[in-house]
Amino acid sequence: MTTEPTETTNENEEWEPRIVAYCCNWCSYAGADLAGTSRIQYPTNARILRVNCTGRLSPEFILAALDMGADGVLVSGCHPGDCHYTSGNLKARARWAMMETAIEQAGVDPRRVRLQWASASEAQLFADGVREITEQVKELGPIRSEWK
Amino acid sequence: MSENKPNSALVIGGGVAGITAALDIASQGFKVYLVERNPSIGGVMAQIDKTFPTLDCSACILTPKLSEVSRHKNIEILTYSEVGSVTGSAGDFHVRVKRKARYVNEDVCTGCGDCAEECPVEVANEFDLNIGFRKAIYVPFPQATPNVYTVDKENCIDCGRCVKACQRNAIDLDMKDTTLEFHVGAIIIATGFQLYDITDYPRLGYGHYANVIHAMEFERLINAAGPTHGHLIRLGDGKTPKSIGFIQCVGARDVQKGVPYCSRVCCMYSIKNAVMALEHNTDGEVWVYYADIRAFGKGFEEFYEMAKKRFGVKFIRGRVAEVMEGKKTGNLVIRVEDTETAEVRLIEHDLIVISPGVVPPIGMDTMAKKMGIEQSDDGYIQAEHTFFGPTETKTPGVFVCGCAEGPKDIPDSVSAGSAAAMKATIVLSQGGT
Amino acid sequence: MSDTKEEPRIGVFVCHCGHNIAGVVDVVSVAEMARDLPNVVFSTDEMFMCSDAGQVLIKEKVKEHNLNRVVVASCSPRMHEPTFRRVVEEVDVNRYLFDQVNLREHVSWCHTREPVKATEKAKDLVRMSVARAAKLENLPIKTVNVLPKTMVVGGGIAGLRSSLDIAERGFDVVLVEKDTQLGGNVAKWTHLFPSDESGAQVIGPLIAAVRKHKRIKIHLNSKVSDFDGYIGNFEVTIKNLSSEKETKVNIGTVIVSTGFEAFKPVGYYSYTKSPNIITLAELQEMPPAQMLIRPSDGKPVKKMVFIGCVGSREPGKIGHEHCSRHCCSATAKAAADLRDDVDESLVLYQDIRTYGKGHEEFHRLARQKHVIYSKFPTDAHPNVEVAADGDIRIRWFDVLAGSELEFHPDLVVLASAMIPPDDMAETAKMFSLTRSGDGFFNPEHIKLAPLTTHTAGVMIAGAAQAAKNASEAVIDASGAAAKAVGLMAQGEVEIESTVSHVISDLCSSCHTCVTACPYGAIIMDEEQTPPVAFVQEAKCKGCGTCAAACPSSAIVMYHSTDEQILTMVEAYLCTTPEPEGGGSA
Repeated sequence: MTTEPTETTNENEEWEPRIVAYCCNWCSYAGADLAGTSRIQYPTNARILRVNCTGRLSPEFILAALDMGADGVLVSGCHPGDCHYTSGNLKARARWAMMETAIEQAGVDPRRVRLQWASASEAQLFADGVREITEQVKELGPIRSEWK
Repeated sequence: MSENKPNSALVIGGGVAGITAALDIASQGFKVYLVERNPSIGGVMAQIDKTFPTLDCSACILTPKLSEVSRHKNIEILTYSEVGSVTGSAGDFHVRVKRKARYVNEDVCTGCGDCAEECPVEVANEFDLNIGFRKAIYVPFPQATPNVYTVDKENCIDCGRCVKACQRNAIDLDMKDTTLEFHVGAIIIATGFQLYDITDYPRLGYGHYANVIHAMEFERLINAAGPTHGHLIRLGDGKTPKSIGFIQCVGARDVQKGVPYCSRVCCMYSIKNAVMALEHNTDGEVWVYYADIRAFGKGFEEFYEMAKKRFGVKFIRGRVAEVMEGKKTGNLVIRVEDTETAEVRLIEHDLIVISPGVVPPIGMDTMAKKMGIEQSDDGYIQAEHTFFGPTETKTPGVFVCGCAEGPKDIPDSVSAGSAAAMKATIVLSQGGT
Repeated sequence: MSDTKEEPRIGVFVCHCGHNIAGVVDVVSVAEMARDLPNVVFSTDEMFMCSDAGQVLIKEKVKEHNLNRVVVASCSPRMHEPTFRRVVEEVDVNRYLFDQVNLREHVSWCHTREPVKATEKAKDLVRMSVARAAKLENLPIKTVNVLPKTMVVGGGIAGLRSSLDIAERGFDVVLVEKDTQLGGNVAKWTHLFPSDESGAQVIGPLIAAVRKHKRIKIHLNSKVSDFDGYIGNFEVTIKNLSSEKETKVNIGTVIVSTGFEAFKPVGYYSYTKSPNIITLAELQEMPPAQMLIRPSDGKPVKKMVFIGCVGSREPGKIGHEHCSRHCCSATAKAAADLRDDVDESLVLYQDIRTYGKGHEEFHRLARQKHVIYSKFPTDAHPNVEVAADGDIRIRWFDVLAGSELEFHPDLVVLASAMIPPDDMAETAKMFSLTRSGDGFFNPEHIKLAPLTTHTAGVMIAGAAQAAKNASEAVIDASGAAAKAVGLMAQGEVEIESTVSHVISDLCSSCHTCVTACPYGAIIMDEEQTPPVAFVQEAKCKGCGTCAAACPSSAIVMYHSTDEQILTMVEAYLCTTPEPEGGGSA
């Protein structure tokens, strides 16, 4: 990671937060697909990265994204009990608290990260999640202002 | 008992039911002859723009199936062909298939399109319900399978320009019809349906007023690969319609017209089209005139709710009495009794879309008679028994799936295609006993 | 075969999908942008990438430019990833060197009115995918054998039909039923609306045939207590519910046909307040009698009423939003059949959904026999009250007459919803199936793959998939059987190579991964000193939980490595500034 993060902020236009969205393949990625096929409209700010399971995500992935300049990180997986891999999402949830503490200690507002559950049929829930974190992060402003 | 019995099956009809049946038989290692009378497999699903209840693009989900069929080593696709005769019995049917001359050598043509560019003849494109044009040498749609051109000899002027344009010498304007004969152990009828001819309802104005169209024409109009590249316009004057009315149960649930049954798909395809109309024109308004909304399949009721709540589609319960045209505007006025308020209303629309019911396809009677297959009163293939043999016909070794048995939506047709395949392979594996 | 060690040579193909993508996203500029990305040697846009023409284009360009990585920016990989993986394989590019960008479901369809921002997002996603493609690695293509035996879970009409079809086709079946007898819901029905047969007449011959078939082994009063393994090679433990005896079986495929439950509408229409308010299922289960009698006192019913959509079609109420599909036709048939027994018969409905073959005729027959159909408003359901003397009073607004009506029936029949059985969540968990809003199982694809699921080798049939009638369940059952037989007849099937791998040199023998793995796929290799973790690949499903848990970064999750993920994040957030003057790379 040698490349310098770039500033996308342009003073002439409204600042748009950049959000990394990690989605599990079986529930939330499919839910995002359904949001598309249902033509549910939501903010363009999130870039979805597909992982098999939220259990794949160690805190490093969230921290690295924030470090590289993401203004917010969304992690979206299957509802507890519905995990395609039985319990990966529970592992993700267990790590979450620890991760939140870590970013707080680094001086980053924990409201920049969001863990949500959205099943393959909950397109609206997924879209709402993206909307909420986008609005939340807009209020907080660019992450560059926060890193200590 | 099974010495030298043919280890293959015949599937008649290359729509989504026939395709599914063919794949499920072929995957068990049996050979399949898939006969389709059009130049390409794909059936009606290839013409549809989006599918309910997920609004998936129809061609997009169908294409992988088409290519799976075309590359399957156990499936022989016989397009532009019709079954001539069938004799014999379960385990050993003798089949004759008439292969219409397509005047293009299928094995040589690469579908490059050089020929069509040269062709000077433009005719109405039946795939687009005659709204757009195609050449006399053509492929019906971009994902056609096989991706091979066909000469429409009725309109061809034999100028020979296509022959010269083809760098692979694939075109032979003297080609003759041929007959193919083979033995199969089992047969699946998947000949699909056609839409009811709505000119039978003159009071609704179809055929008289330019801005009264039917649902399949609407599908082609909103389709990106269609004649207007997906721009929803009125055929009368090219204007974008703001207010659209959908009329339900035309040629369905109508005892007087000989179609007493429900067509099963019209409610949902109209709700889907209503939603798509609002997708194309967000400040428009859409009304659906219905008798009962039959949203009975998985996810359908939820889709209906979404159409009402999120998209604001308006539903009026009442059979439309008549459609009148405003001479100057080309707009249409619907006269309908809103049965929920007992009011007779006159409502003006820019465009009327009639939702025709489903009827057996042309040629069904002839084929059934030729093969000796029993039909039901409504003209479809009679299933053996609701519970014991819903995909079996009264003739052993002959099975039925999809709309050939009666109106069905896509998932029901697909399930039935797999089920008929299962039954056929039992016959094949047991040598007809 | 392309060698991963080679310098990446990436081809990018941006799909218009007709108007679906190109109508919102400026696909030409996306393709142009991609041309200048590192390792990209070819980039273009095309009308339909999935069409024959699109597929041929990929193959031609791979050969022409000696491409060893392919990125297609089109629709969801959940739709076409298999298509494009096959295409690249046909020109000797390993399928794991393909990556797909979702410009349709995740961009054009959900940002329809923001073309500029949508195009910007599309460019980011393509850049991320190209970065990932450069880091992708060859993985071996693995096949496994498929054991020629299917387990059918649920012995109702669907399960029986599947079992019999598979057995007749020449494969072995293990049929597991939790009840002490076969037949499911249909067997309980003395009146099988919509048909003139009783449930026993329909299910009897099926049960007899299943019992007689030597290829079918039946486990009654039993449940699957453990389910392990992978497509073609599942290890199942079947537990007898009384004796607790466990039987272990190895099978190749599974059909889940666990059916439905008739909703007990407690809280609706004074159900439970009077023995004369029953469900349609309870009416169907009544012993055959000369006359229709009141459950309360055995007197003949003079006035009856059916109420439709009880616990169905309730927007916003989870698990009850769906239409239960079978009830309108069953109600019409029941009302017509019983009309001669009673003086007055009413059907209160919202919509009449007699869609199936012959169903409209039941509806017409009922009306001809003077069954009165009355439509009630969607937002004001009828009110049923039971007086102290047992008198039932029902009041509702008739939409078509525009007036309040009242009726005092002897018998109220509630056409209650089809809902999943109470152990549905347990079954879902056992076979890793997901459920849709109606509570039933999600099929692999709602249109074109209604019988398969996202768990490879596990099929669903009948009402386990959605509310449906017995005839439709029978069709599903044969269809699901075809899917199972297809796998077994081929004898082998390809499986995903996306599994975890332990780099033994880095392993600190801490056992964290062993406990993290939900499948028990990781064991300690005791032959090494010190013992290190080892992934049994056949058991690994590729969730990557172990890779996230490993404190020593000793676990590589193939096709989802840390590097492959983080390079995407970096490509999104740390773009190099556009070169001045736009010089070519």
